[in-house]
Amino acid sequence: MSDPSTHLPVITDKERVRRLLALPGTRPNRLARLHTARVAIVGMGGLGNASAQYLAAQGIGHLTLIDGDRVDATNLGRQVLFGPSDIGTLKIEAAFKALSRIAPKLEVDTIADYFTEHNGASLIASHDIIIDGLDSAAARHWINRAALNKGVPVIFAGAVGYEAQVFAVYGKPPCLSCLWPTMTDADGDCVTHGILGPLVGMVGSLQAAEAIKHLIGFADKPGSLWTFDLFQGRTRVVSVPPNPLCPVCGSVSRGPSS
Amino acid sequence: MKLTVNGEFTHMPDIATVGDLLDHFGVQHQAVAVIANGNIVARDVFRQFTVQTGDTIEIIRFVGGG
Repeated sequence: MSDPSTHLPVITDKERVRRLLALPGTRPNRLARLHTARVAIVGMGGLGNASAQYLAAQGIGHLTLIDGDRVDATNLGRQVLFGPSDIGTLKIEAAFKALSRIAPKLEVDTIADYFTEHNGASLIASHDIIIDGLDSAAARHWINRAALNKGVPVIFAGAVGYEAQVFAVYGKPPCLSCLWPTMTDADGDCVTHGILGPLVGMVGSLQAAEAIKHLIGFADKPGSLWTFDLFQGRTRVVSVPPNPLCPVCGSVSRGPSS
Repeated sequence: MKLTVNGEFTHMPDIATVGDLLDHFGVQHQAVAVIANGNIVARDVFRQFTVQTGDTIEIIRFVGGG
């Protein structure tokens, strides 16, 4: 029996972005940027899985997947790139395998490590945008600080129970620390509080959408924070102002001292 | 007093401060952000920041997990 992969039709980059052309706010000359874009996904849990599959399908040229975790059976209800045969393997390796099926020409770097205060800046260097797929409030603050220092946008998200939020920071105020300067008692984990599987898919997909919009030149809306409460059936978009007293970006917004 | 809290117009018993408002809704002061009339209220002044009728307040709890 012949290898079925030899009969696959060739999918060009143009075909992956063709349905973007008619969208308002899209600049056709920027669509080619998707092919050269480098996106880092920090954390390959539910958010990272969802965002990665759409970024790959839409024609992003390069993904860097960062996570030291291995696939657990309890992940399968929401981490849709993984199947039963992946249990016990590194999430980044299982994700790479699945993403290669979606987009064979996608370039992927896999980093089997956790994002820390010390390695963060080097992990996100040379990327056009960062997708936050972490489950640690402290690590989210490290990303926020490192990305602001380099002027790199980050699409933050969190999801636990029936609630989720997405907050885009474009390398300038407002940032994550404008809202939450300290994160004492902030961590709510999916083990304790549960998690509705499709909820992480929903907000992970929103992260991918906002990343793609930024890359193709759609005008950024700094300070937009989406909140979702699927228990109450409520969705809102809140406009977050810069915080002049922010310990991370407040000094940036004040400019150089005289 | 009349307030708009998280987009919903609401009649409230008279309260004095953002801290009182959070207590009314049973919201812990840690890991919560408050925007009053378009400005972020620093957490260390929740107990002093005055709320007046007609104010628009956003209460945003950090959502972890991923």
